Amino acid sequence: MSPLIRWFHQLGSPPYFDRFAARWAPWAYALGLATMAVGLYGALFSVPADYQQGDSFRILYIHVPSAWMSMAMFALMALYGAIALVWRIKLCEILAMACAPIGAAFTVITLATGSIWGKPMWGTWWDWDPRLTSQLVLLFLYFGVIGLYAAIEDRRAAARAASLLAIVGVVMLPIIRYSVVWWNSLHQGQTIRVFGESSMDASMIPPLLWMVVGTKLWAIGSLLARARADNLQREAGKDWVRQLAGVPR
Amino acid sequence: MSYAGYVTAAYAVFAAVLLWDFVAPRIRIAQVLRAVRLLARRQAARGDAPNELSR
Repeated sequence: MSPLIRWFHQLGSPPYFDRFAARWAPWAYALGLATMAVGLYGALFSVPADYQQGDSFRILYIHVPSAWMSMAMFALMALYGAIALVWRIKLCEILAMACAPIGAAFTVITLATGSIWGKPMWGTWWDWDPRLTSQLVLLFLYFGVIGLYAAIEDRRAAARAASLLAIVGVVMLPIIRYSVVWWNSLHQGQTIRVFGESSMDASMIPPLLWMVVGTKLWAIGSLLARARADNLQREAGKDWVRQLAGVPR
Repeated sequence: MSYAGYVTAAYAVFAAVLLWDFVAPRIRIAQVLRAVRLLARRQAARGDAPNELSR
């Protein structure tokens, strides 16, 4: 068996995953924080103010990476959920459910920072615009997944039910993505392209890329930490958790 | 800086939510491990105490 496949199988073992997550989560957090620090320095101090929006455009450097993360975490949650449903892998159930609060956190940041940015630029904190409304629906879907997982006592049945909701909810992702194209929207259209030329000036892009990478690394750290917490809770009666808690044999 | 209040508020929200995201799993892990310790202590105490049925 190749070492990679062996490692993948080992990762499915709860104690092995606990050690793995405890070891790597702090590194992912630290790298994420360092990367975001570089991005934030660029966003706040090195990039010039926008000729139309002034300094308010600096909110973009937290708003856009958070919006991307809110959708990426939902896609990841649905992917883990699908794997958990098809192959009944317990770790994938745990990882799917750990994605929900992280994605919800980034969705809250997206909505809050968008609202704060909207006030000086649009003259209002909120508008029932297609992009804003679809992003709000995404937050409710995250709450639905979290609530469903918490409401059912059997952890495995709860994870399966919530995974199903996550898979159904994936339909929201293209709606959010193309809402500014399909409908007449107050929200601005696509200005940043991963592939192809962005309509933003090239000098304004690097801090955004740092922030995009930083938020991803942060999310990996958070995913490992949250999955570890859920894994420990599920395995609370096992000897290895008692040892970890310092209970003498 | 123009719109300084708005920019500060937005970055403060970002920092506050990420701080919660960092702290929440740590609190949960500590709670789980504390619950395991408490349960073990309770089980040990029950084992040490005289049992009416075993007399």
